[in-house]
Amino acid sequence: MWPNLHTLAGETVCLCACVRARVRACMLSCMRLCAFARFMHLCLPSALILDSQELSLVESEVKEEKALGQNVGLRSFPSLFCETLGPGQSNNKMCSTLRKCGTYRTEGRHDHGRTKGGSPFQDNFDKRNPHYEHGGHELLPSERQENDGSVEMGDVHKDRQLRHTPYNIERSRKLVKWHSEDQIYTTTWRNRKLPERKMMEDTRDGKTRAWFKVTIPYGGKYDKAWLMNSIQSHCSVPFTPLDFHYFQNRAHFFVQGAGTASALKDVNYTICDDQNRKICIFVNQSTAPYSVKNKLKPSQMQLLKLTMDKRYDVSKQALDLQSLRFDPDLTGHDIDIILNRRNCMAATLKVIESNFPELLSLNLCNNKLYQLDGLSDITEKAPKVKILNLSRNELKSVWELGKVKGLKLEELWLEGNPLCSTFSDESAYVSAIQNCFPKLLRLDGRELAPAMNVDTDSSELMKPCKESCNGSETLKHTVLQFLQQYYSIYDSGDRRGLLGAYHEEACFSMTIPFNPEDSAPKSLRQYFEDSRNIKTLKDPYLREELLKHTKHDIVDFLSTLPKTQHDLSSILVDMWYQTKWMLCFSVNGVFKEVEGQSQGSVLAFTRTFIVTPGSSSSLCIVNDELFVRDASPQETQSTFSIPVSTPSSSSELSLSQERQEMVQAFSAQSGMKLEWSQKCLQDNEWNYTRAGQIFTVLQTKGKIPAEAFKQIP
Amino acid sequence: MRKFRSNWSQGDRERYQERSDSYRERAGTSYLSRERWTHQEVVTSPLPKPVATSSLMASSVDFKTYVDQACRAAEEFVNIYYETMDKRRRALTRLYLDKATLIWNGNVVSGLDALNNFFDALPSSEFQVNMLDCQPVHEQATQSQTTVLVVTSGTVKFDGNKQHYFNQNFLLTAQSTPNNTVWKIASDCFRFQDWAST
Repeated sequence: MWPNLHTLAGETVCLCACVRARVRACMLSCMRLCAFARFMHLCLPSALILDSQELSLVESEVKEEKALGQNVGLRSFPSLFCETLGPGQSNNKMCSTLRKCGTYRTEGRHDHGRTKGGSPFQDNFDKRNPHYEHGGHELLPSERQENDGSVEMGDVHKDRQLRHTPYNIERSRKLVKWHSEDQIYTTTWRNRKLPERKMMEDTRDGKTRAWFKVTIPYGGKYDKAWLMNSIQSHCSVPFTPLDFHYFQNRAHFFVQGAGTASALKDVNYTICDDQNRKICIFVNQSTAPYSVKNKLKPSQMQLLKLTMDKRYDVSKQALDLQSLRFDPDLTGHDIDIILNRRNCMAATLKVIESNFPELLSLNLCNNKLYQLDGLSDITEKAPKVKILNLSRNELKSVWELGKVKGLKLEELWLEGNPLCSTFSDESAYVSAIQNCFPKLLRLDGRELAPAMNVDTDSSELMKPCKESCNGSETLKHTVLQFLQQYYSIYDSGDRRGLLGAYHEEACFSMTIPFNPEDSAPKSLRQYFEDSRNIKTLKDPYLREELLKHTKHDIVDFLSTLPKTQHDLSSILVDMWYQTKWMLCFSVNGVFKEVEGQSQGSVLAFTRTFIVTPGSSSSLCIVNDELFVRDASPQETQSTFSIPVSTPSSSSELSLSQERQEMVQAFSAQSGMKLEWSQKCLQDNEWNYTRAGQIFTVLQTKGKIPAEAFKQIP
Repeated sequence: MRKFRSNWSQGDRERYQERSDSYRERAGTSYLSRERWTHQEVVTSPLPKPVATSSLMASSVDFKTYVDQACRAAEEFVNIYYETMDKRRRALTRLYLDKATLIWNGNVVSGLDALNNFFDALPSSEFQVNMLDCQPVHEQATQSQTTVLVVTSGTVKFDGNKQHYFNQNFLLTAQSTPNNTVWKIASDCFRFQDWAST
């Protein structure tokens, strides 16, 4: 390539000055010298022709090109120039062509949003994913030689056509100018080019249609099957995607044919993902995908098939492709099956599809697999695979496994891959794999406990609801004790005793879940006026009013609320924040109104307390928020079901300190709830040992009801 | 159509500058990744400095300010939180402090990593908040770290599950900078109202 340029440059004596200037301008605007080189290659021959010289030189250069069909293209190109441009106009037209070409080339640069897919040159050269095509084995420049300007030649014309689609024209103002200027050229080219193009196409061996690379930014976050199905359904033209792979969270695949490409372009921004974001799809010209370019020859395929037949175990429906590259049948022949390469993997999968569609077990151990893009087709070709061995490869992350997620694997081997060491511990590793393959039974030879979430039904994916685990036992006891004391005073009829529980500057507010506009149910009507719901209440004065500030205000207000009876045995406490200076917990429970208008109605409440350690190991409330609602029928039933004979918590206050401690100790030892322990001790006249004996006897006889015991968290 | 920038008035120029500044501010983000930069934090105006005073009158004025500020922060926060939870779940953990804890129906989730995993695993949600209440937390409990207690209630429907009524409490703490205050969740407690029957 480079020698060509130099020889041409040396011989362009006749290059006119303005062309040179334009060329320089183009050079500056084209960031890539190689692109420029090809561009020069394009234009220079025509420049030469323009001055009606060296046609033979061009032809000789052309003969050196490797790809077929180029000759025809090039020949028509210069002849075109000869015919359409008279000598007088030559310079101007050339300049405008160059300018146009310059604009064309720089389009990709100025188009901010599309730096990724701006120009085919860029795409093919620098952003190429080495892993996709080579697996890190080969050098890139070898590829580079194949993608010379000659292919682009024919494609330039097609690219023009594509650029005339309305979608593209809207993108920048520059295009509009260019477009209008181009009118003349387009018509001319079309008229002249078409018959020659047909010839061009026919003589091209196999490559009847151009290839396009489709890019979906952020394609990595979507499920492959969903993505492809969505695109297929939105696209007016059916297509077969080839060489689907990911590169840095982008998804790519190839399609053939300009019609398909433009149909795919129309799909851009029409698909919504589940977060209501539109999916972008970019389509750019490209060379043929790797697996097509390097398609295995029929003789090679035959050899591969024979080798695979030998490695297939019919009884177990297992295919062992360990170290396939170094199989004695394959070495020495003109074949190198590097499974990491797309073409080899595609060929292997093709053989599997045709010969072993019922495959159950596949062993790909020790094949230096860096990514599983190629293997992802296995979900269609051999969907019944249940056992997959990928050990001793080079897989670096679990994301690779996600590409074969469609397989319903029961057994998986991954040891010896770099990804195994990325996990902090065994369980993290196992759960990550199980996330990918929920039905997995064996990993690396070890039996797995079936994952909780075996069903795809997401209701099981949510964590089950539990009673809160409340931190340390002492803390729990402190809090429970506090609550018992609090509610005993609260329920006693005279709430003034609560003054001692509150801080001087405590805050209290209350809400019920109803808006002022709705009519509150009868049971909540008494709470309605003082309900503070700042979602609906916007008046700042009222907002402050309804927040009771000092402890006197609070207790005065609480005294106005109806008399209640709380059911402390059924409360649930969530202790959700704890520091040295404060403790924050929420109490969920039910209470009954024992007097007033709605006597007997059962209401549910959620009360959030923020307490600080007060004097003499008691707790001091600084914030108190009460939320009251109607209790559901289940809540009403399940609570208050314990017979009234159970000693109510109010009597506990009358116990001396010593007796309280006895109750606590007894409760801890026997496992019974505090009330039941107290009852037991009371019945035995506070004789601890005797109570213990009686308890053991009763327990062995099974006479103590289950509800007496504390629920095990 | 104003084709040429020289035709723009000064106001237009300023507006253009502002707009393009906001783009440039986020250097390095392309058009495609810009969605990552949407405003995720709850930011309010700077907090009033606590006035050391002994008179009751003055302290009540301060209290009112605290209440106002708490209400404003709570309202804004709740809007952002539930919208992020529904529509931009991946960004949700940005609203939590590093050592924040979540108690979700009794399950303890502690630390940003665990929170990330938890929210990823949680099915997509549709929240409807009906009730919101807030209180400024007394400084004795928080050692002068401005904190607000937020209590919310409403309904939620997780994908694949039936609708539930829920109660949620947050402790929001303020992290002050000279220009603004950023509120983050220090602790979060969520529970279905019918948790016992699920």
